[in-house]
Amino acid sequence: MSQNAEKILDHQELFREPEYAKMIENKRALFENRVPAAELDRVRDWTKTAEYREKNFAREALTVNPNKACQPLGAVFAAVGFEKTLPFVHGSQGCVAYYRSHFSRHFKEPTSCVSSSMTEDAAVFGGLNNMIDGLANAHALYKPKMIAVSTTCMAEVIGDDLNAFIKGAKEKGSVPADFDVTFAHTPAFVGSHITGYDNVMKGVVEHFWDGKAGTVPKLERQPNNSINFIGGFDGYTVGNLREIKRLFDVMGVEYTIFGDNSDVWDTPADGEFRMYDGGTTLEQAANAIHAKATISMQEFCTEKTLATIAAHGQEVKAFNHPVGVAGTDAFLQEVSRLTGKPIPDALTKERGRLVDAIGDSSAHIHGKKFAIYGDPDTCLGLAAFILELGGEPTHILATNGNKAWAEKVETLLASSPFGKNCHVYPGKDLWHLRSLLFTEPVDFMIGNTYGKYLERDTGTPLIRIGFPLFDRHHHHRYPVWGYQGALNVLVWILDKIFDELDKDVVAGKNDISFDIIR
Amino acid sequence: MALRQIAFYGKGGIGKSTTSQNTLAALVDLGQKILIVGCDPKADSTRLILNTKMQDTVLSLAAEAGSVEDLELEDVMKIGYKGIKCTEAGGPEPGVGCAGRGVITAINFLEENGAYENVDYVSYDVLGDVVCGGFAMPIRENKAQEIYIVMSGEMMALYAANNIAKGILKYASSGGVRLGGLICNERQTDRELDLAEALAKRLNSQLIHFVPRDNIVQHAELRRKTVIEYAPDCQQAQEYRNLAEKIHANAGKGTIPTPITMEELEEMLLDFGIMKTEEQALAELAAKEAAKLAAATA
Amino acid sequence: MSTALAETPEDIKARNKQLIAEVLEAYPDKSAKRRAKHLNTYEAEKSECSVKSNIKSIPGVMTIRGCAYAGSKGVVWGPIKDMVHISHGPVGCGQYSWGSRRNYYVGTTGIDSFVTMQFTSDFQEKDIVFGGDKKLGKIIDEIQVLFPLNKGITIQSECPIGLIGDDIEAVSKAKSKQYEGKTIVPVRCEGFRGVSQSLGHHIANDAVRDWVFDKAGDKIAHFESTPYDVAIIGDYNIGGDAWSSRILLEEMGLRVIAQWSGDGSIAELEATPKAKLNILHCYRSMNYITRHMEEKYGIPWVEYNFFGPTKIEASLREIASHFDDKIKAGAEQVIAKYKPLMQAVIDRYKPRLQGKKVMLFVGGLRPRHVIGAYEDLGMEVVGTGYEFGHNDDYQRTTHYVKDGTLIYDDVTGYEFEKFVEKVKPDLVGSGIKEKYVFQKMGVPFRQMHSWDYSGPYHGYDGFAIFARDMDIAINAPVWKLAKAPWS
Repeated sequence: MSQNAEKILDHQELFREPEYAKMIENKRALFENRVPAAELDRVRDWTKTAEYREKNFAREALTVNPNKACQPLGAVFAAVGFEKTLPFVHGSQGCVAYYRSHFSRHFKEPTSCVSSSMTEDAAVFGGLNNMIDGLANAHALYKPKMIAVSTTCMAEVIGDDLNAFIKGAKEKGSVPADFDVTFAHTPAFVGSHITGYDNVMKGVVEHFWDGKAGTVPKLERQPNNSINFIGGFDGYTVGNLREIKRLFDVMGVEYTIFGDNSDVWDTPADGEFRMYDGGTTLEQAANAIHAKATISMQEFCTEKTLATIAAHGQEVKAFNHPVGVAGTDAFLQEVSRLTGKPIPDALTKERGRLVDAIGDSSAHIHGKKFAIYGDPDTCLGLAAFILELGGEPTHILATNGNKAWAEKVETLLASSPFGKNCHVYPGKDLWHLRSLLFTEPVDFMIGNTYGKYLERDTGTPLIRIGFPLFDRHHHHRYPVWGYQGALNVLVWILDKIFDELDKDVVAGKNDISFDIIR
Repeated sequence: MALRQIAFYGKGGIGKSTTSQNTLAALVDLGQKILIVGCDPKADSTRLILNTKMQDTVLSLAAEAGSVEDLELEDVMKIGYKGIKCTEAGGPEPGVGCAGRGVITAINFLEENGAYENVDYVSYDVLGDVVCGGFAMPIRENKAQEIYIVMSGEMMALYAANNIAKGILKYASSGGVRLGGLICNERQTDRELDLAEALAKRLNSQLIHFVPRDNIVQHAELRRKTVIEYAPDCQQAQEYRNLAEKIHANAGKGTIPTPITMEELEEMLLDFGIMKTEEQALAELAAKEAAKLAAATA
Repeated sequence: MSTALAETPEDIKARNKQLIAEVLEAYPDKSAKRRAKHLNTYEAEKSECSVKSNIKSIPGVMTIRGCAYAGSKGVVWGPIKDMVHISHGPVGCGQYSWGSRRNYYVGTTGIDSFVTMQFTSDFQEKDIVFGGDKKLGKIIDEIQVLFPLNKGITIQSECPIGLIGDDIEAVSKAKSKQYEGKTIVPVRCEGFRGVSQSLGHHIANDAVRDWVFDKAGDKIAHFESTPYDVAIIGDYNIGGDAWSSRILLEEMGLRVIAQWSGDGSIAELEATPKAKLNILHCYRSMNYITRHMEEKYGIPWVEYNFFGPTKIEASLREIASHFDDKIKAGAEQVIAKYKPLMQAVIDRYKPRLQGKKVMLFVGGLRPRHVIGAYEDLGMEVVGTGYEFGHNDDYQRTTHYVKDGTLIYDDVTGYEFEKFVEKVKPDLVGSGIKEKYVFQKMGVPFRQMHSWDYSGPYHGYDGFAIFARDMDIAINAPVWKLAKAPWS
């Protein structure tokens, strides 16, 4: 008997007990018609070869372990950044269950979102009735201040027209005529979650600035001194947006965080469930038209949104998820230029502390090779920081990166001698990366939880930075932007490097360098 | 002048593409800058303007390139007769994929890439009936303001016209789409003009023009030309010019259609003798068979 | 603590009635009428729970349900380890369901096993417009090159496949022929089909029938049959559940020739018609194939429940009753062997959990099956409901629940929150989407789909973990910290 009431064995240990091991082995030998061990070894070794890599990269149709999700996920992310806003995804209901689970697994927080629950009949007749009933129910039950409608691929294939449907629903009294319902078509078969984020943000801009789908006059822009800030799809949104607000406050900048989901994904446990918390108020969203400029922290998350904002006469500026000294410098300088507010000494001091920390530690990073994968902007920001630390990015991969992104990465790499042996892989997946890690090994890889499988297969230690992070808790509460954020990233990298030094040490065998000072 | 967006709908084979291209050729003679968006997987909405057999479509090029994001506007927009800009959405082979989605994809691409800039008219030429959401794309808000239904005195064309009116009605309340009028393409059926006018009235619309039949159209088509280009001085060219002028003057005069029920439509067809009652039809069939039998036994 | 402690069943029923009326008030009339049919209180002695089920969810209400794809790829097919399961359509469905169900398996991932991988056709706009059949054919070719040890392929349809009319059956047949009769299974589990995961289970079961059983031919396994061969049906080996069940069956003298589908293989599926008895845990998701095997191969089946010692004991005896005295004696030996362990677990945890009230909302079999395990610990289930149950599930539930239990079918986020607020249970057992809602409210919570990343919960070994986990949840010091001393 394996189990013990005094020291209860968890699955990690339980199934390593001899009677389970024997049982499982028996099952394999007798009933599974398993692959002979020699054949298994042969194929496993073959998958590590250059020949396999070539075949792997010759793939044209199959995608294996992609590092991207679909548009509506980004739509939900964007929607919850507004005050008391309920995301409403028009289409099949299972999708919404997936988005909610996905975010809850990352943030360890509830994510509220409704579906119009379209089924087979709606596929044939269109989902207008689902929109009419859905908006009415959502409005009655969850009392939102705004509903942000997006679509699943089902509604997109049958061609449902959100604008017409929402108007139709309002005519039927589902929600009051002047109730704010923004909309964005977010087909899952175009782009990725960052595209969905962009589409929803653009939809919100157009709704508030361009006359709410023709129901009120368009707003007239009267430029003021404030700036808008858009974070983009970001797994660290809780920590990052709070850090950005702190930076702006320290600088005395007037600002609007356009799409602020830092509170809704970090509500307190005090006996009350807050379905909505914080967020950009609808008034702020409308008044954002008057801002002097809009800064996007992630270019590839906001291409259409920024174009729309620029068309309203604002200056726009996009960064690529800046991490590190130079990235933060550029960001703060731009904020300073746009607002006329000088960068205060307090921040210069913070900068100095970061530089000091890097100086203390970069010897451990210098010359180390890194594979980096993630969303396009995240890759750019992290790669820039690694270059700054004297590390050598070697593979940079974004499944949802396009040609323009790849060119941008090339430019970055060309700017530093530490980038000269690096290749960029737009549109490739993590099974491609597996081949890269076998044939061109690196010292560390940086990316999200999915890299765990690569760490197991290739032995490349994973530094967890990205979205989603399912198997570590609370990282999203820390910023990676600003000098403070860069310090967090530095510490995460160093912790892994130091842990690796001691990982396989056995007393008396190989513990010569088992140092307590490093 | 504000951008005017119009669309031609009609049953397949009714002469919709021919009518639309001739009319647009006439319109360009009025000094209008025009963009044609062909929304028929057959991709034959621009060939008379381009004098070519077929144009590369947005979707076929996108499929080759990988996705629409990989396309440039120049790849898919050709310039035809007197500067008319021509695009074809294209679509799958019959029986596969989703042509309706193709229409959505293509129109979104064109709009986002500036095809609608610097033109006075956008004209959509749409396949047959409004069969699904995708084919309704051109009548959504901010798309075509007026729909012209090409029809004739044939029964199926009348059915189709009524159905299209239903599609328009669906979007008329939420968006600004209106029925601009019916265009009757003469098929020389009984009382064709009366019938067309009667249906237009029932649909709360107008018969904007009755285009007579003329073989010159075929002569021009065989040469991949519009009549306007091939024989600008003939009477038929004048007919299309008249139609073009009427459409040009019809801005903002479209109506919300009042489609009629199947029963009402059938009643109307019975009145005009286009359709026979069941009794009549059965009696005729019986007479025919009796005659056949008589002939065989004789 | 629960306000229901000292109340009579009549008090509770009156409270439930009022509670249901209160939540329904929040809905627009039309929806209130529809939701009213799904909410009720169980009356002792009745043979049903008097709720409607397996009906479309109302739009806009935050249903907890998933879709047919989730039922087929996520539940039934996904755990079959030596097959490659293609999420056919856009990238999302496969991404969100990648590695999230904890279907444990033994194998070399990426080489001979593929459960925790995400294979997708990553549909692009052009695939929608022009159809995806050619791409699918190419995908299968590429799988054959890069994953040569795969024993079969399934095609898990996402919404667009059915909408654009792709002929995945034709592609499957052609490719199967090209690869010498390889098992290639097209599954029509588009997410818009049906009203929940449930239809996906059914479609997946039918796909096994049509594309595995009917085509297995002489591929059926080579082992010698014994009179004691059984198949575990409807155990997905979440956190190792099927293993902690299998060990008991083997200890009592039976031989498990197949696991459906946790840690399962295509060879096991094909061999199952050789079983003498199918033992069925998750009735909801696999009764279809079990009934089919009864009809076609004459294999009897028995439902069992391996949650908590009371139900395990009864189930072991019930299973043994289908066999000879040797097995019956074996069952008694197993029961006797584990009795001291169970007693020790109960002695340790029952005093800490006695009298605690639980509300459940889960899928499959759990809304009823786990009730006995809670009762073994002195706890009481005061409310339960199914995400995607049918009427036969609610009928079976009557054997488990007490008079006055609140029953809620396809509960909405709003209803569940209000019910918990008023009933004030000491523990809620539901899913990831619900977990943090209730924890913020200060209510201890356990995920009862994924076992909150713990488990196994099945079998005797599993019960020890279950008991420990419930104690961890309910008696965590954190619940006392929710209110600041000054507020």
